[in-house]
Amino acid sequence: MACKELQQNIEAYLDAELTLSDRRDFEEHLGECQDCQAMLENVRALNKSIQKIGYVSRPASLRRNIKHGLRDITGEESSSFNLNQLLGVGGASAAFASLTVWFVMSFMVGLPMQVQLTDELISAHVRSMMADHVTDIASSDRHTVKPWFNGKLDFSPMVLDLKDKGFPLVGGRLDYLQKQPVAALVYQRRAHVINLFIRRSDQTAQTSAASLTQQQGYQLLSWQQQGLQYTLVSDLNAKELQEFSQLLHGTGH
Amino acid sequence: MANRKDRQRFERMMLGHLDAAYNLALWLVRNPSEAEDIVQTAYMRAFEHFHTFNGGNAAGWIMTIVRNTAYNWLNKQKRNSNLISFDEVLHSSGQHTHSTANEMNPANIVASHASSVHLMEQMERLPVEFREALFLREIEGYSYKEIAEITQVPKGTVMSRLSRARGQLQNLLVEQQKRKQNRGV
Repeated sequence: MACKELQQNIEAYLDAELTLSDRRDFEEHLGECQDCQAMLENVRALNKSIQKIGYVSRPASLRRNIKHGLRDITGEESSSFNLNQLLGVGGASAAFASLTVWFVMSFMVGLPMQVQLTDELISAHVRSMMADHVTDIASSDRHTVKPWFNGKLDFSPMVLDLKDKGFPLVGGRLDYLQKQPVAALVYQRRAHVINLFIRRSDQTAQTSAASLTQQQGYQLLSWQQQGLQYTLVSDLNAKELQEFSQLLHGTGH
Repeated sequence: MANRKDRQRFERMMLGHLDAAYNLALWLVRNPSEAEDIVQTAYMRAFEHFHTFNGGNAAGWIMTIVRNTAYNWLNKQKRNSNLISFDEVLHSSGQHTHSTANEMNPANIVASHASSVHLMEQMERLPVEFREALFLREIEGYSYKEIAEITQVPKGTVMSRLSRARGQLQNLLVEQQKRKQNRGV
């Protein structure tokens, strides 16, 4: 009968995709065909339960990260302070001008900011040992430590265990530097504690070579990788710290 | 080069579709942190190509970029693992996999009582193209034509994917129900 042919219209009917005349024909058929009615109800019930799944809520960090990323593309500052507006010029020349100003400013402002950050990093390192609060999550298993940061940071830090290279992972901790939450991974080298701070980079460079700073008997080794800023802080000697950074650096993730 | 005005226009038009974008990515790759990365990447790509947007359907435009980004990721995964590749068998009209009304009765009971969690479990067993079609149709409410545009296939393919997706999902739910009953006996 015509039923077989019309059965194929069940879904199109429910999806409101039938033409007016097809729709009329189908409804007419439906009135006198129990098989088609039953099938229609099946598909309708299935559709309803799929619809009920709805949305899961997205991570809070997503919107923020996108807005941040967009500003990176336009070369805008993340604050409301806007160079283009200040200079009152438009188009490509504005972009170029703001770039120039940015370079000049980073020389002027960059230095004190760097000093301040170094102080903060050392303080965080010292504090972590003084308060006997080296780790929030004590585990040598990177598959335990990495997921622990989920939802606490708006990026996912690289967590490696380099036990076989003599740098066992001790655990992880959430810290707060320069007004933003950062990941602190704790490693050990003999009796020396090494804090690895990972934070979202505010520099435009995606990747940079490691640079060493020494202060108050601590060594700081910093580098950028994939938009993140990594800093090792420890009282361990510079040579071994360099070696450690190369192990972390070289392996990507 | 994109400036502040472009960014503001982009944000105004596209950020409102973030929930849809994230959930689509999640349905496709089934991993929250990957889905997040994919949406982030897709939005950056979208902004870089914002000048190509003709001012039409913003939701459809951004969803297309999100799903393309998700498929890039899935293809990369496939190269690294043995993800079952879905062999698209034409969309000839005779291919619909409806069972008879009687056979579908248990599914009816299952479907109307299936919790979203159970349903999602079975959904994950469908080919990614089927999940995508169901998401765009049932969660987003797009028409066949709009789905065809987003997924870049003919309308007939959309119809056949939807139909086969529903058929397979019903069958999976029936099987699940049977397994439960057997365990219960």
